[in-house]
Amino acid sequence: MTLSAKAFQRWLQSIAPDASTADVCRVSGIKRTTLAQQLVRGKVSVSTVVSISRAYNINPVAALAGFEAYSALAGPPRPPSRNELVSQISSADLLRALLARPAMDAARGEAAPALSPAPHATAVKNWVDAIDDGEVRHRVSASTGVAPQNYSAQLTANRLSPELALATAMAAGVGPAGGLVATGVITEEEAGWPPGARQAALESLSDGELTALAGDRLQALGRVLRRQEQDRAQAEKIWENLG
Amino acid sequence: MIETLQWTTLAICAFVAAARIPSTLRGENRSLFGIFAMMTLAILLSIQGPYLVIDQALGGINIANLLLRFVTFGAIYFLGIRTSRGFDAQGAHRLITGRGGMLVLLAVSVVMIGVFFMMDTAGSSAGLKAVSDKDSRNFALVEFYGAAGRAYPAYVGLALVPAMVRAVKDRLPVLVRGAAALLALGGVAIALTLLFPAIPPSMAALEFIINYTAVLCYVIGLALIWAARVVNSRGVPRRKKSTET
Repeated sequence: MTLSAKAFQRWLQSIAPDASTADVCRVSGIKRTTLAQQLVRGKVSVSTVVSISRAYNINPVAALAGFEAYSALAGPPRPPSRNELVSQISSADLLRALLARPAMDAARGEAAPALSPAPHATAVKNWVDAIDDGEVRHRVSASTGVAPQNYSAQLTANRLSPELALATAMAAGVGPAGGLVATGVITEEEAGWPPGARQAALESLSDGELTALAGDRLQALGRVLRRQEQDRAQAEKIWENLG
Repeated sequence: MIETLQWTTLAICAFVAAARIPSTLRGENRSLFGIFAMMTLAILLSIQGPYLVIDQALGGINIANLLLRFVTFGAIYFLGIRTSRGFDAQGAHRLITGRGGMLVLLAVSVVMIGVFFMMDTAGSSAGLKAVSDKDSRNFALVEFYGAAGRAYPAYVGLALVPAMVRAVKDRLPVLVRGAAALLALGGVAIALTLLFPAIPPSMAALEFIINYTAVLCYVIGLALIWAARVVNSRGVPRRKKSTET
């Protein structure tokens, strides 16, 4: 959900009382036309607030919590669960970690390279899968009015609007900022995730857990790739005959 | 207004056919050029002015109209084969090239030729209007002849519709899905031509609109698929470069 221009102006007034719109755009790297358009329409995007917060050294989560729609973000950050942390590790990193485990290859025993920063290519879907008790999608769709198929389509495209990300976290009963991390709106640090938390979660996985998880990821990736190949072959056939 | 529609359709069709010449010379999908060329000829023959000129050259007994029908059959036949193969529509492919399709084509052709020579066809007239006006016998024969001529394209057009509707809902490139939608619409329009006898003479313009809508849908639909291929082949090398470095 976007934020109302009125509330945004009030917030901006409180953090940078003397700055003009041009100043704000310059320090936050937002295009002036973009912000002007959002203000005219009365719908300011979440990413605008995040960019401005960062420019003025304010925690974006705290800033967003000041808006009514995101008031659930207020309060001390709740630590992420281990499942959430592991879901934010890319499949490539998981596989590298697996290869470095003695159970896979006793001779190697070298340390896996550092994790690439969140979010990764399937971070949104993996995050929802990690917190889903089987009913989360229904509850989100009931509380937001978004049709389940539209919700699924967003997950498949590795997207989730900030509003839905928050609603999903609430419906699953996990820390409210997790979805914003998975969608790349805010960083782990901004969400209050302890440094090295993902690495620690990865190390706490047993060989069996890690192998099974990597297998699940590979299977999902295989399905996506196969589907893309089929679509591609279908289009090629059409072009071969009609192009 | 109908004149404008006719000449615009002719121009679009001729333009697409001409645009296909380079790729045809390279040997890419030659039959596609054939389809566009035949469609262009068919549209030319359906317009009053060119029809009279060509028919006079052919003896002035409306052979040009018979030619128009068979050129249309040829265009729709190859279009049906290509489209059903491209969209992997085995059912439609069998309906068109299988025994049933051949039987329909043969029966329609025999009826058409037979009826044509039973008519008093002297005197060039686009759409056999003058022939139809001669007497009630010729009027009835022209109606039969017209119905037979519309039956085969309608058969092929309808055979393709289910596969096209499926393709619209598929995960194909947007341009290809748009093309499939146009091909489906063209098929429906062609099928509607079967209802022409039910259209009152006061609404004769409707017949022209349906006919040319069908042709335009097919031509633009096929051109869109081609455009999608061009767009796609331009996009691929660019992506390759960025991952190679």
